Amino acid sequence: MIDILGHLGHGFVHVLAPANVAALLVGLVVGMLVAILPGLTLVMGVVLVLPFTYGMALLPSIIMLTAMYISGTYGGAFTSILFRIPGEPLDVPLLWDGYTMGRKGAPAKALGWTLYAALWGGLLTSTCMVLLAQPFAKFALSFDAPEYFSVIMFGLTSVVALAGTSMSNALISLFIGLLLSTVGVDEIYGAQRFTFGIPVLADGIKYITIMVGAYGLGEVFTRLEQGFQTQPVQYSAKRIKTQLPTLREVWGLRGTFVRSSLIGVLLGIVPGAGATITSFVSYGAESQYGKRSARLGTGIPEGIVAPQIASTASVGGHMVPLLTLGIPGSGATAIILGAFLLHGVQPGPQLFTDPKSTALVYAIFASLFLSVVGMCAMGYFWIRSLIKVMDAPEAVVSAFVVLFCVIGAYSERNDLNDVWMLVIFGIVGYLFDRFRFPVAPLVLGAILGPEAETAFMTSMISHKNDWVGAFFGRPISCTLMILTFVALGFPLIRAALRARRAWRAR
Amino acid sequence: MSARARIGAAAPYGVLLGLAAYLFRVADHLDFTRTEGRLGPDFWPKAILALLMVTCGYELLRRLLRAPGGQPESAVIGEATTVEDMEPEAAPPARHPYLLWSGAGLTLLYVASLEVLGFFTSTFLYMLIFMRLGRYRRWPVVITTSLCGSLVFMFVFMKIVYVSLPLGSEPFSAVSLLLMRLMGIR
Repeated sequence: MIDILGHLGHGFVHVLAPANVAALLVGLVVGMLVAILPGLTLVMGVVLVLPFTYGMALLPSIIMLTAMYISGTYGGAFTSILFRIPGEPLDVPLLWDGYTMGRKGAPAKALGWTLYAALWGGLLTSTCMVLLAQPFAKFALSFDAPEYFSVIMFGLTSVVALAGTSMSNALISLFIGLLLSTVGVDEIYGAQRFTFGIPVLADGIKYITIMVGAYGLGEVFTRLEQGFQTQPVQYSAKRIKTQLPTLREVWGLRGTFVRSSLIGVLLGIVPGAGATITSFVSYGAESQYGKRSARLGTGIPEGIVAPQIASTASVGGHMVPLLTLGIPGSGATAIILGAFLLHGVQPGPQLFTDPKSTALVYAIFASLFLSVVGMCAMGYFWIRSLIKVMDAPEAVVSAFVVLFCVIGAYSERNDLNDVWMLVIFGIVGYLFDRFRFPVAPLVLGAILGPEAETAFMTSMISHKNDWVGAFFGRPISCTLMILTFVALGFPLIRAALRARRAWRAR
Repeated sequence: MSARARIGAAAPYGVLLGLAAYLFRVADHLDFTRTEGRLGPDFWPKAILALLMVTCGYELLRRLLRAPGGQPESAVIGEATTVEDMEPEAAPPARHPYLLWSGAGLTLLYVASLEVLGFFTSTFLYMLIFMRLGRYRRWPVVITTSLCGSLVFMFVFMKIVYVSLPLGSEPFSAVSLLLMRLMGIR
């Protein structure tokens, strides 16, 4: 424990270097802006900032992206409560009680509850992350190739199970992502796979073009087809202020605070349960177990606190498997993993064994604490200025998004072929959205595919092609494989039960 | 659900199934020297393709064989319903396919023009046309934003992030080189 506190103390010292503070502030402001603008999703925003990190050192890059991630879970609350415009899908539950409370004449109070919830959720998740990371990493150090393969499979299938659309579509998206990662020259045999004699394909398809194309450009195409319908908002600056709740009021909601915090942190650790899902689940739990559950939706603070705490608390939860196992649990953490890889660093338990990388990890932890405090201060003092961004017309914002995407794809190798790929994946991203295939499994498959293949092939070589022995003969990998099947089977069983209930009700 | 609608719903899976079958055949003919007792580089992609074909085949059949007036999507086995169940129903947004395909075509044209016109000129033109295509009508804002946007991006990425953006070919490269000189980019 003393060790951890010592590392964390050093982490704070590192973060307070001018370059890191600047990265943190930029990340917070951009994260807030992205969350406020309805045309830009948080994941897309993190993708767009990625090219700026190419020329930066690793630590400020990660600080900037994580600051964006956490402030993005908070910024959208303002537009949801004041204008009934959810900047992000995770802000939708805030419409039901937050906006209603605002309509009843207490928008400042609603914003106060949001700030309190974000602060609580953020500090709690940062603390949990610091406490959980070391034991997680120690445990992961005992992993061999079969365990790695199993943990990657578990991560991927959890993302599929929680993708929120059709299970088959999510699986298809995942398989396409895994398949794309096999294009190019194979590392062991040097065989060309799916290159069709095209030289540029021999180098493989860079996951960054898939990520930026499918998330960024695909979203722009989707919104262009809808005719950029979002209208600029006529806001009144006088309406925007925050009134904090009293300690007595907060104590009255202690049950909600505990429930939502637990849901946020625990679901955050599970790969696939992003901030949106945790936000909805927490609201759902409040509607089932809350003291005033019958009054949810009428503008009570429980309906604001529950989703806000859970979505902010999920961020730290997602960072634990990313830093200790190299498994991203959400779209945003997949991009943060991409930033690590672009700087030649593979996250995993080995980060905690080398003093230099341990310092890096604890500096990231420290930055999360500062990000939480910074975003709340920003929300309290600067929100009037930040919210002006909503006046920007969607066509103008989207033109800039395309530019960011193009430069993001081009600048990794200074190769225009990557930009062609970007446009192709932009169209693929649009088609995925049109036919309701989730994009997250595609991107995660493309990023984790090479690792999954290496772990699988190594396991097969060391176990002489005995896959049962490799994956089911070892306790940890066997447990993880069983969990993988449970993750896949759970939605099927739930859907079967629902169908049965619906049939009985007829 | 009419037969035509069912075929329409199943079509994407049919296309994917066909594509996966073709790629499986390609993977079957990879050029490499096999090592006895070890899996080749074809095993992993073939395993993925096999799973992809099974999933597409299942979904294709399910959609084709769905009974007329059958259950809604979310009640059918194999559909994982989560967040979307809780969101209030909203009217589907209006679609303008001509905007989409014009935008995609314009973006392809932009990428093709980068090597000829250079980053600045092609970006300026692209932003200008894209904003108009996105039905933004205020010309002064469109022109100013396109001009400033192209210049700022050029400055930030060439001068600060050190990305070598395309300069274009003669005579357009002269514009890029002039701007670089004015911005102090070497």
